[in-house]
Amino acid sequence: MSLRHVANVVGLLLVFVAMAMALSGGVALLYGDGDSLAIFGAAALTSAVGIAAYRLTRLEGDLTAREGFAIVTFAWAGTAVFGALPYLFSGSTHSFIGAVFESMSGFTTTGATIFSDVEALPHGILFWRSFTHWLGGMGIIVLAIAVLPFLGVGGMQLFRAEVPGPTPERLRPRITQTAKLLWYVYLGITVLQTLLYMAGGLSPFDAVTHTFATLATGGFSTKNASIAAFDSAYVDWVTIVFMYVAGVNFALHFRAITGRFDYFRDHEWRFFTAILVGAALIVSVLNLSGGGYEVSARGIEHALRDGFFQVTSITTTTGFVTADYELWMPGAKMCLFALFFVGGMAGSTGGSIKAVRVLLLLKQTAMELRKHLHPRAVLLARMGRQVVKEDVMANVVGFVILYLLLFLAGCLALSLMGMDMLTAMGASAATVGNIGPGLGDVGPTDNYGWMSGPELTVLTFLMLVGRLEIYTVLLLFHPETWKGRKSFK
Amino acid sequence: MKVLIVGAGEVGFHLAERLSEESQDVIVVDADPERAEFVQQQLDVMTVVGNGASLPILERAGVRGAEMLLAVTSRDEVNLVSCLAATRLDVRHTIARISNPEYYARGSVLSREQLGIDLMINPERECAWETFQLLQSAAATDVAQFADGRVQLTGMVVKEGAPVAGRRLADLGQELRAARFVTAAIVRDGQTIIPKGEDCIQAGDQIFVLSPTSEVERIPPLVGYDRFTLRRVMIAGGSEEGEYLAQVLGEHGIECTVLDHDRRRCLELAENLPRALVLHADATDLELLEMEGVGGIDGFVASTSHDEINLLSSLLAKSVGAKKVVSLVHKFDYLPLVPKVGVDAAVSPRMSTVNAILRYVRRGRVTSVATLKGVDAEAIEFNVAVDSPIVGRPLREMHFPKGGIVGTVTRGEEIIIPTGDTIVHPGDAVIVFALPEAIPEIESWFA
Repeated sequence: MSLRHVANVVGLLLVFVAMAMALSGGVALLYGDGDSLAIFGAAALTSAVGIAAYRLTRLEGDLTAREGFAIVTFAWAGTAVFGALPYLFSGSTHSFIGAVFESMSGFTTTGATIFSDVEALPHGILFWRSFTHWLGGMGIIVLAIAVLPFLGVGGMQLFRAEVPGPTPERLRPRITQTAKLLWYVYLGITVLQTLLYMAGGLSPFDAVTHTFATLATGGFSTKNASIAAFDSAYVDWVTIVFMYVAGVNFALHFRAITGRFDYFRDHEWRFFTAILVGAALIVSVLNLSGGGYEVSARGIEHALRDGFFQVTSITTTTGFVTADYELWMPGAKMCLFALFFVGGMAGSTGGSIKAVRVLLLLKQTAMELRKHLHPRAVLLARMGRQVVKEDVMANVVGFVILYLLLFLAGCLALSLMGMDMLTAMGASAATVGNIGPGLGDVGPTDNYGWMSGPELTVLTFLMLVGRLEIYTVLLLFHPETWKGRKSFK
Repeated sequence: MKVLIVGAGEVGFHLAERLSEESQDVIVVDADPERAEFVQQQLDVMTVVGNGASLPILERAGVRGAEMLLAVTSRDEVNLVSCLAATRLDVRHTIARISNPEYYARGSVLSREQLGIDLMINPERECAWETFQLLQSAAATDVAQFADGRVQLTGMVVKEGAPVAGRRLADLGQELRAARFVTAAIVRDGQTIIPKGEDCIQAGDQIFVLSPTSEVERIPPLVGYDRFTLRRVMIAGGSEEGEYLAQVLGEHGIECTVLDHDRRRCLELAENLPRALVLHADATDLELLEMEGVGGIDGFVASTSHDEINLLSSLLAKSVGAKKVVSLVHKFDYLPLVPKVGVDAAVSPRMSTVNAILRYVRRGRVTSVATLKGVDAEAIEFNVAVDSPIVGRPLREMHFPKGGIVGTVTRGEEIIIPTGDTIVHPGDAVIVFALPEAIPEIESWFA
């Protein structure tokens, strides 16, 4: 593994981040809240470091798989640290780790915030906050691959390390083209949702920032009350639909746009949609039966809207809220907590375990049961007609176990620092899954601002590991990554 | 008619035998000199030694002027090439034995239409289809369908104490008017009898019955079998035949278990057969078979590539109570053994192929033919022409040869079980059951 290669690519990506900051600086100028200088300063510093790293090193030959993992991890860590600068320079927060937490939460599309009063923040900072979501949603590296063709073959290593799901699919023979198409689709849907929001009476600023947060399945809002601040059924439903769209595999959207309507044929889609609709109906019925919603046409609509909103928000790992689900009945609350461990589809911007892995795990379990009835049976798991290879299945089982271990490790670490059990569980699940709001003191009406530095550090790490689907990051902690043969492909 | 047969394996040999018996000029091409020598000694045919896909060899065999070429080696590619060559040399009819479905699938580069090959026969699939039909009935030892599947010939062994046992055919006809069938042949002690009214059915006889396919299920109770519906089938041996059968069963919603001793083959089967349960096990592992519920299973099919294992496996299954046991038998010599050892029925991929090819070869007046295993007689379906001698007079007035019997008459939608008063019309399809020596005379009735 060559650290020079890593520094070279990471440096280049930092320049990108700096450009995005500069754009936010432009927005700050536009609103004149006085934060533009801080943001431009952050951009200048970031680009200086990036350019230095890029110019002082050189990329020779192809990237190896190990370098791919290292680049992705360091790029995300670096992006989060430099992305924290605007918060610090503008004085929005004085805690370094708090700022990094906020930045990481943005890029990993978690949506957990340390700010208790976001409405007090200047426009430029708010824009930057939402913009980090949008960049992180489709993936900063996928974006880099799309515009930097010279990454070429090595790009696949990076792509695989960043894109969620067990086996990323190619839409085009060349990885650069695939990355470009995904970004075009992403951009197109962004424009559409922004327009729909504006049609609902949102200001352009609110429309854009909330669109960023929805499509990236992030959850940062520019309002203290999140989406509930708009108090509009129209806005709620638009948000529900687009959260759902963001939780679906973008490759399916791409095919639909090009005329191949493959949703119903996709088994993961069916599973994902069934879980989402099923859970939303259960939650709505429970709420109607005793959650303070009146049984009338309006009450039912409200209960359904709140049910669908919260369920879609949690399942797709967005983390917007329109109702305080901690006041719901235990059954409804438990439903939501179970959904913390489902997540969006592979190839979506959603986080957590991913619907396909849950589905495969269920299939594997059903197979093991059947195997007890027929000990000599040769059984294969299938997705539709496609047989799931055993190594893919092993990877999935390994992933889910690691994911749950990571969640438990997070709970344990937080509890050791004195956090109460419910809050620790909520915070750990909400950050590993890149969801945002958790339970207890980090519930839908709370924020993460009260936490200590060490606690925020743990959660920051969990967000990074969760977003990069564990293996990518954990590989760097494996001793063999750092020694032995120079490259393997 | 000059017929070229490429490949003198069991299929080729059998075809040559049948066709030369019917006084066709048969030339057999085979690459193995010893095999060619053997064929020459056994049959009244000419043999040429050499590669049947090579043009000079085909020309030496007299491909120019031949009317038909049957390519039946065990290799698809050889069969395809020699048919291709023959079409170029103006051989009117070509038939190829093709096992790989990719070659005959619609739309493939090498499809039948593209190549000008008249018939592509997949022995494994023919065989699977025949097995499926056998499984439908508890009693059937043989099945063959005629008149687009509307008439079925069923062979059955009469059980002790069956309603028909010990009865004269003439009396049966009176009593069982409701059951529409014709007893076309009785096989007793290896002898095939074409029965008359005064003949008696005895327990232990194998009888061949023609009936409308829609009424087939009424017959097994008459020969002493319980009615049954096929719900669960176990296929021991994941051969091509077994796989095709599992596919057919799956399409008909019948629960199906397939087992094979080779783990890699099991994985293939599991991949290809989403609806079947695939087990990695030996076909003769009785303990496992019992654990998987072979006792009381509706159908058990032994379909490994080894005849001996198949027969043993079938016997094991039968002994623990499988209701209908069918064994795959490749070697023609073993076929007569099957009823003797107590296996319900046997299928042979090669015999299925021979049947399918003969059906095609004799087409014209003859629409369909069935050669039966271990039985001399054949069932032949004739189309009646306007000037056929059989037309216009009641059957009792015709002096039909001893070795033949008119089974059913199909007239439009109607299926007629003939009596002495029945008059055959032009355009009817008549199914005749006959011993080989009677066939030429019977053919003259339909000329």
